Amino acid sequence: MSSKKYRPKIQETIQPNLIPMVDIMFLMLLFFMLGADMSQRETENLILPQADKVQENPKEKAAGEIVTVVNLFHKPTGDGFVCPAQKTGLCRDVEHHVIVIRGQEYSFDTFPAQIKAEADESLEPDKDPEAGKQLSARKVTIRADRTAPFGLVQKIIEACGVAGIYKIEVGAARPPEG
Amino acid sequence: MAGATMGEDENPVGINVTPLVDIIFCLCVFFMISFKFKQIEGKFDTWLPKGKGTSGAGSDASIIEEIRVAMFWDEGAQRTVRKFRDRQVDDDDTLQTLIREAHADFVRLNKPDAPVTIDAAFDVPWDDVIRVVNLCKREQIDKIEFALGAPPAQPAAP
Repeated sequence: MSSKKYRPKIQETIQPNLIPMVDIMFLMLLFFMLGADMSQRETENLILPQADKVQENPKEKAAGEIVTVVNLFHKPTGDGFVCPAQKTGLCRDVEHHVIVIRGQEYSFDTFPAQIKAEADESLEPDKDPEAGKQLSARKVTIRADRTAPFGLVQKIIEACGVAGIYKIEVGAARPPEG
Repeated sequence: MAGATMGEDENPVGINVTPLVDIIFCLCVFFMISFKFKQIEGKFDTWLPKGKGTSGAGSDASIIEEIRVAMFWDEGAQRTVRKFRDRQVDDDDTLQTLIREAHADFVRLNKPDAPVTIDAAFDVPWDDVIRVVNLCKREQIDKIEFALGAPPAQPAAP
């Protein structure tokens, strides 16, 4: 046996214990990762009109339901684009508004062809006796900015009607409680 | 930054956690910046009439068969003017009462499916249109149509 007495080492440097910090950071990372929406973005950032009687969106889509989300909003200021009318919040210029479907921008000239193509992808199997033609089973959700003129929403609804889409929803936000 | 996480006596292999912490910091910052609180969204169901094609509820539809709310934009006052059967209605509660009474009349006539038609001019803000839709939903009226004919002419100033 060794006769040497145990002598503790003198710690010369102070090392902070990082384990609690790493633990907390892992938890934060997990929280933000789970909260992040990494799905294909169908909804654009816009201010929806508020309505207390709006039906909340279901967590899951119904089986076989195909929905096209049509976003309508005013072009944001920037890249040399300035709209003086936007200062009052109400711009009526058609050219200043854009339609966005799954991140792709469309003008009011190109939108009817796009919605027709989408409608034709999901035609109902049988001819509708009332309409006298095959209609589309596709649903369209219109998310229009609260300041958008109604006439532009009308144009979208008209284009859907021409394309044979008759299931139309309009998006709104529930006002904050309290 | 620290090197080993345990005392050298306990674990001879020191793990350098500095790169791990750096990467977690970067990931945390990325997810924190991209994080946003969503507002509760929902939707109102509307159905385009199959038989009417694109005409929807036209502006010339008979007023006897429907409840019609006309909406115009007053450029001078910068507000929406709402009319229900030639009566200007500024107050939400009054409009809701008028819609309720009109709907009750149709129910008495055995026509509970009579729609509420919103006949708004081009420049009426979407927010004001949705407000009327919401009033109808408060009265449990499901059949709401948007007039898709030519927009109504601006009424003459009094």
